[in-house]
Amino acid sequence: MKKVLVLLFVLSFGVILSACTQKTYELALVTDVGTIDDGSFNQGAWEGLKAFAEDNDISYKYYQPSADSTDARVATIELAIENGATTVVTPGYMFENAIWLVQSDHPDVNFIFLDGSPSNVSGWDDQGNPILLTGETAADFTVEDNVLPIFYKEQEAGFLAGYAAVMDGNTKLGFVGGMAVPAVVRFGYGYIQGAAYAAEELELTAPVEVVYWYSGVFWADNTVSDKAASWFTTGTEVIFAAAGGAGASVMSAAEQATDGKVIGVDIDQKDASETVITSAMKELANSVYAALESIYDETFVGGTAWNLGSVEDGVGLPQDFTRFDTFDQADYDAIFALLTAGTVVVSGDITVDADSFDSDYVTVIVE
Amino acid sequence: MSFLDTLYSIINMSLLVAIPLMIVALAGMFSERSGVVNIALEGIMTFGAFFAIFFMSLIYKSSGLNGQSLFFIGIFIAIIIGMLFSLLHAYASVNMSANQIISATALNMFAPAFAIFLAKAITGYSKIQFPNNSFFIRSIPILSDIPVLGPILFSNTFITIYIGIAILIVSYITIYKTRFGLRLRSCGEYPQAADAAGINVKKIRYLGVVISGALGGLGGLFYIVPITGIYDATFSANGYGFLALAVLISGQWKPFRILLFSLLFGFFSKISNMTSMIPFLSNMNIPGEILSIIPYIVTIIVLIFTSKNSQGPKAAGEPYDAGKR
Repeated sequence: MKKVLVLLFVLSFGVILSACTQKTYELALVTDVGTIDDGSFNQGAWEGLKAFAEDNDISYKYYQPSADSTDARVATIELAIENGATTVVTPGYMFENAIWLVQSDHPDVNFIFLDGSPSNVSGWDDQGNPILLTGETAADFTVEDNVLPIFYKEQEAGFLAGYAAVMDGNTKLGFVGGMAVPAVVRFGYGYIQGAAYAAEELELTAPVEVVYWYSGVFWADNTVSDKAASWFTTGTEVIFAAAGGAGASVMSAAEQATDGKVIGVDIDQKDASETVITSAMKELANSVYAALESIYDETFVGGTAWNLGSVEDGVGLPQDFTRFDTFDQADYDAIFALLTAGTVVVSGDITVDADSFDSDYVTVIVE
Repeated sequence: MSFLDTLYSIINMSLLVAIPLMIVALAGMFSERSGVVNIALEGIMTFGAFFAIFFMSLIYKSSGLNGQSLFFIGIFIAIIIGMLFSLLHAYASVNMSANQIISATALNMFAPAFAIFLAKAITGYSKIQFPNNSFFIRSIPILSDIPVLGPILFSNTFITIYIGIAILIVSYITIYKTRFGLRLRSCGEYPQAADAAGINVKKIRYLGVVISGALGGLGGLFYIVPITGIYDATFSANGYGFLALAVLISGQWKPFRILLFSLLFGFFSKISNMTSMIPFLSNMNIPGEILSIIPYIVTIIVLIFTSKNSQGPKAAGEPYDAGKR
């Protein structure tokens, strides 16, 4: 019996090894910490990469780091390059140190870096001074020519969501963020500004109420469903869930409430739940596609970031307004035009605290 | 919303977390009462939940079946898978006389990894969408109109809590009123004496662990169903398997005390999550971090006071050695 088992093991190893040799993948995506199907960032980027690869018949593969650390991310990027990657897509600010460490070692490899820019700063202390990676003496934010950082104006996506929610007749709004990281903060801040703008336009006499909370988790958890449920019972009509996988818990709470509505994030999340009225989208797939296109056209310009907003069609709401009561395509086009024309400017200042937002039209309650 | 309505609503929601916790703690009870420490509950929860949800999702996609009938299929699968998975622990700790902590730790590490691996191998994703909201019971006609009990037990709930109550009663009867229960307890207290009295210690311990697996798998499913319709194997049990052990110890390995401490934890965790419903608490402006540690602090305090005169099964954790006295 034992001999048979050993033989099986040896054979299966042989099969695995022979299957692994000689196979290279030109396009690679390394996930930040979540999975490729997070219904959010990794997935959006992956869809763009996959579409481009399939359209142009290029080999592609994704890698998931074994742990949530810069070391693991660097190792995974190195692995992707070893496997023949000439372009590596890295979604998420968590790659800032990892890209900084690898960018000059691989001048022939292009990096498309969503939502972050390379640096050797691993964090900031209480006084606002940078905490550097071990062995570094000065903060460095060099972006090599082979790196293309892509940022999104989350505040504009959030603005559109908040605007649509209030224009649709809601006056009690909620915001669930995953963590107070820049992208999430900008979503939330834009959301408040959008609500305020709509309230002003509608000349509401009572201010719109926005309850505001960071869950601390990006995955399904009962703290999130409880919080959302308690908000829905106390009158909150719609919750903007900018919290990755934790959004699913907000949706569950919404379905269990008598009349709960949810605004999705990053990608169109309408299929995740009937309660999702719209989503504050970043056009991740489009921008990854465009960036890859520039590499294969040889028009690629690295070293400076793309900062995509409504003007570049980098953010927006999905073109499906059937789940709104009154807000429709025409309303959306009107406000979107104001954004692209620059008539309405949405601040993306992440140093502003949500509860200090000052307006006659919005009251923010931070939990 | 009146104060009473709020209170009912919070208790109503507490049950959705307290009942799974209780079921898993009862799972631990059956195992430890038979003399096998089972800290693999976390892994068993993950495994039970994963397979149940995986199959429910498959059935839903192929036949469109949803609602309670689909849920019952899921429940059945969670139980079976929990039992099968726990057999590994039973084999290691009963037949091989292995260290039970190590065997269980291995299962805990194995379960989520294997669930993710399997999900990706089969579907390409680690997330599984399933119609959890079709299991939701908004209200039960007539029963939901009963004052007090109506809003707490018979509206805005899941079938999980009725099954949980049934499990509690059956567990109590099994442990204290049946021949099997007596044998189970004797194997956990003094297996050599039980053996001398003609009881097959190995068999009883196997049964204890397998029952534990069944309840653990079920608890894993019951924990996840109310909170999300998109299951992610990476964050399946969220540490509740370990929390159940704390409840088990606080509850002194006794069914109704286990229920009590599960309710206590459930209630405090809801209070801390749902402060916005409770005006006097939300007016105090307590930081969210403080609020969310309250249930755990309560658990630790209760543990400190109860574990002093803790009366766990004496032989729990010791491999049975017939030659020892």
